[in-house]
Amino acid sequence: MERMTLVIDVAKCTGCRSCQVACKNWNQLKGEQTENRGSHENPPDLSANTWNRVVFVESRDANGKIDMTFISDRCRHCEDPPCLEIGQSVPGAVVQDDSGAVIFGKKTREMDFDDLTSNCPYDIPRKNEATGRISKCTMCNDRVSNGLQPACVKACPSGALQFGPRQEMLRFASGRIEALGGDANLYPGEEHNVLWVLPESSRKYPLAQAPTGWKNYRVA
Amino acid sequence: MTNHWIDIRNSDYILAMGSNPVKNHPISYKWITKAVENGGTLISVDPCFTATSNKAQIYAPLRSGTDIAFLGGMIKYILDNDLYFKEYVRDYTNAAFLVDPGFKLPGDGDGVFSGLEGIKTEEGYVDAKYDKTTWAYQKDEKGIIKKDKTFKDPHCVYQLLKKHYSRYTPEKVSDITGTPPDKLLAVYSAYAKSGAPDKSGTVLYAMGWTQHTVGVQNIRAMSIIQLLLGNMGMPGGGVNAMRGESNVQGSTDHGLLFHILPGYLKTPRAAQQTFADYNAAYTPKSNDPLSANWWSNYPKYSASILRAFYGPKLSLDESYRYLPKLDTGPDYSWLTVFDQMYQDKFKGFFAWGQNPACSGANSNKTRHAMGKLEWLVNVNLFDNETASFWKGPDMDPAKIKTEVFLLPCAASFEKEGSISNSGRWMQWRYKAASPPGQALPDGDIVNELMSRVKTLYQTQKGVFPDPILKLSWDYGPKNAAGQVKHIEPHLVAREINGYFLEDTTIKDKVYKRGTLVPNFTMLSDTGATSSGNWLYCGSYNEEGNMAERRQKDDPSGIGLYANWAWSWPLNRRILYNRAAVDVNGKPWAPRKRVIEWQAETWKGDVPDGGWPPLAAAGKGRYPFIMQVEGHGSLFGPGMADGPFPEHYEPFESPLGANPLSPQFINPVLVRFDRISPSKNVNRRATNNSGFPIVCTTYRVTEHWQTGVMTRWQPWLAEMEPGLFVEISTELAELKNIRNGEKIMVHSARGSLEAIAMVTVRWQPFTVAGKTVHQVGMPYHYGWSTTAGRKYGAKDKKPEVFTFGDSANLITPNIGDPNTMIPESKAFMVDIVKKA
Repeated sequence: MERMTLVIDVAKCTGCRSCQVACKNWNQLKGEQTENRGSHENPPDLSANTWNRVVFVESRDANGKIDMTFISDRCRHCEDPPCLEIGQSVPGAVVQDDSGAVIFGKKTREMDFDDLTSNCPYDIPRKNEATGRISKCTMCNDRVSNGLQPACVKACPSGALQFGPRQEMLRFASGRIEALGGDANLYPGEEHNVLWVLPESSRKYPLAQAPTGWKNYRVA
Repeated sequence: MTNHWIDIRNSDYILAMGSNPVKNHPISYKWITKAVENGGTLISVDPCFTATSNKAQIYAPLRSGTDIAFLGGMIKYILDNDLYFKEYVRDYTNAAFLVDPGFKLPGDGDGVFSGLEGIKTEEGYVDAKYDKTTWAYQKDEKGIIKKDKTFKDPHCVYQLLKKHYSRYTPEKVSDITGTPPDKLLAVYSAYAKSGAPDKSGTVLYAMGWTQHTVGVQNIRAMSIIQLLLGNMGMPGGGVNAMRGESNVQGSTDHGLLFHILPGYLKTPRAAQQTFADYNAAYTPKSNDPLSANWWSNYPKYSASILRAFYGPKLSLDESYRYLPKLDTGPDYSWLTVFDQMYQDKFKGFFAWGQNPACSGANSNKTRHAMGKLEWLVNVNLFDNETASFWKGPDMDPAKIKTEVFLLPCAASFEKEGSISNSGRWMQWRYKAASPPGQALPDGDIVNELMSRVKTLYQTQKGVFPDPILKLSWDYGPKNAAGQVKHIEPHLVAREINGYFLEDTTIKDKVYKRGTLVPNFTMLSDTGATSSGNWLYCGSYNEEGNMAERRQKDDPSGIGLYANWAWSWPLNRRILYNRAAVDVNGKPWAPRKRVIEWQAETWKGDVPDGGWPPLAAAGKGRYPFIMQVEGHGSLFGPGMADGPFPEHYEPFESPLGANPLSPQFINPVLVRFDRISPSKNVNRRATNNSGFPIVCTTYRVTEHWQTGVMTRWQPWLAEMEPGLFVEISTELAELKNIRNGEKIMVHSARGSLEAIAMVTVRWQPFTVAGKTVHQVGMPYHYGWSTTAGRKYGAKDKKPEVFTFGDSANLITPNIGDPNTMIPESKAFMVDIVKKA
């Protein structure tokens, strides 16, 4: 199978969270007991039962202009994933399939969680305390390998989520960046299979920045 | 909707007002996006900066309950700047009609129209009613309405409209709405551009317009704008109600409400003792030969529905005698019914597919009213606050004698049938799974009930058994006792369409007895046809079930998709489409043609009647065929509260007076706080320092109505786990409330605990020289899925608990005088930090 890439067109996202529910539905992830913390954003964090979470950002600038931005936060599916490298300690625990999807298997139970998560620049892996299994977004490889789109993409009503062959998606993303103009940019960078088209500088969003030389990244 | 969902993509200017399509009708946004990508402009007008405002090119805030002032200002702007669509307004609307010289406008006197009779108080008139004698048109000796197409006559509708809205200056409007004048102008100037002949503008509204004491007039105000700008009938135009449930359109079409039978036929009143009286009362007459006056066909539709009810063996007169008749005078709306229930006037109540303990305005009253019943039947998917009202907050089960039956029913996916969406598309759905346990489709529950009632009448007689015993009931296979075993949806759909009851020859073609009627132009007033709903005649014909069609071709090029499902009436996708062409039948906007007169025939969509265009001497017809006089109504004398919309303050207002006139609130309201013996529970707090904050209610994407279907759903409950109140940072500072803190919200009728969501999206208004704060909250919650309730050993518990109760505990039970929809969108509260 060829390399597949998912593009999140942030300017088109309406924050409906169909993707968040579709992810739980397809992957049969449990709901969490939450509370309203003064925001529509919930659950409060990624977890073993929440692999895709829409982050809500709202602001009012000095001119009174109000802005609401919604960012779907999830695994970036790095082309050269640090978790895959560290995962080699337990063969089969972390694999990358032909499509580029990075998948955590059952054997992650045998891995050291801190070791794994400290190697992720984006703070994605989460451990199920009851089973010990570490999990995250699989890019719906069980759907994709059967010719379907990821569940989140299928559910998106606004066209904010696009999925397809890597080169096609890179062209789509650069086209959108050109159309948006200004500071629009690609996050976190081409060496990932989940890409965000951000209308403004990535520093304006609550997104982890990949440091220079990130391939050898280790949390101190 | 006059138009349909996909048609939004054809719009050049989209006004989302009284709605939040991005949040509440997410799929509509897909079509809005396409319109914007084609150069369209999205305009959002809302008290709060919503997810729709966030995507809009133009946003303007307004205080809840002031839409008529806002739109009245737009009417003035359009007229002052001569931006209206001249030919359209002259030929297709009633602008040229001459009104009785005795007619007086609110600006001529004390803020009301001529003919008002009522009690005068310091707030103006109350408990009033209009004598509409002076709202009539001047007619010539032939009985045809006098017109002045030069618009010079001071009594012509155009001049009256101009005079009426001359009072709605930008300064006055801003003073009422709190909208900054530059924002008013931004909206007015953008939207008025849709008046160019080849442009169109659409309005997407929802409960933000309807749930007011001036709800119908909100929509009337926009209808006037749409007529002035020539947007009715146009692709990308129209007045589009985005319905709050997928099948609200269908249930309304089929007579859900007390005052209508299926097909918007009128419920008989006691004064209409014979079928002839009834038809005479509701069959309008026009002396103008160019007016199609479609409702002149009323007797065909009423005869056909009687045939559907009682079959061909009875006379039409006898069948009519069997129809239940409302007393002449009182209304039987929700608010009145619950007021009567509260006064102990009911024995029993079927709460079918609904949860009034949370959905009814002033829910404390609703909940206590149900405690006065002998029995209550709730038909629902899950236990809910209605079925379990007797064990809810503030209830003492030992003192409640109401016997409650909860009948489990099938969900939409567990049965076959049709739904009609907002765009009037009747779409067939198939059963995906069998209902669990004892749950049955609603139709089968009705069937069982009917069967038992019939048996009771057969065995124990009764005062008037024939209406039940003689009712047609051929909806499925029967058992040995002649009872229908289960309802076959296709038979119901066929009855709705209607049959020829005798061999009939129409235009040399013979239609055999028992065959389905091809369309409603073939229905008969003699009893030769049946049709359970004339509007749906044509939906199920000898070629099959039109609602099952799934062809994705679109030869129209404008997204009509004429072979996908079926749209009432006659598969017409855009209503009033004869107004989208000039008098010669040529489209105003050739690049988005809906119909066109070519070679003596209409091309495109099913036209609003097959007559040639208006210019064809004597053969053409005016385009607005459902209106008696065939013209779009700038002047609307059918309303209970005035032929033009006029701004009145909400029932509960932050102000001491109406900035526009001496008349404070709508004078013709049914005031339960004044007239009802139960007035102590119908409390009102207006201009009251104890309740200084305007409050509105709305929905979130994640929950559905009262939450019966969504609060049990863990993936939805975790996203919106509880009742919140959105408040501005300014108000939070004033009240010393921090984001995420628990607060109490009080109104004159009740109190609620909620989480404060402090946000920049709400901002205070400056109204009539003072600062007015507004807050907003969703209504979806209820105590039955909270962790705090007492669960019995066998009760099912939610996997994810939600928090909070229904916002309707604090909303007022006051209704629009035309529809009796409650004013849930503008009322007064106070908020305080929870001690």
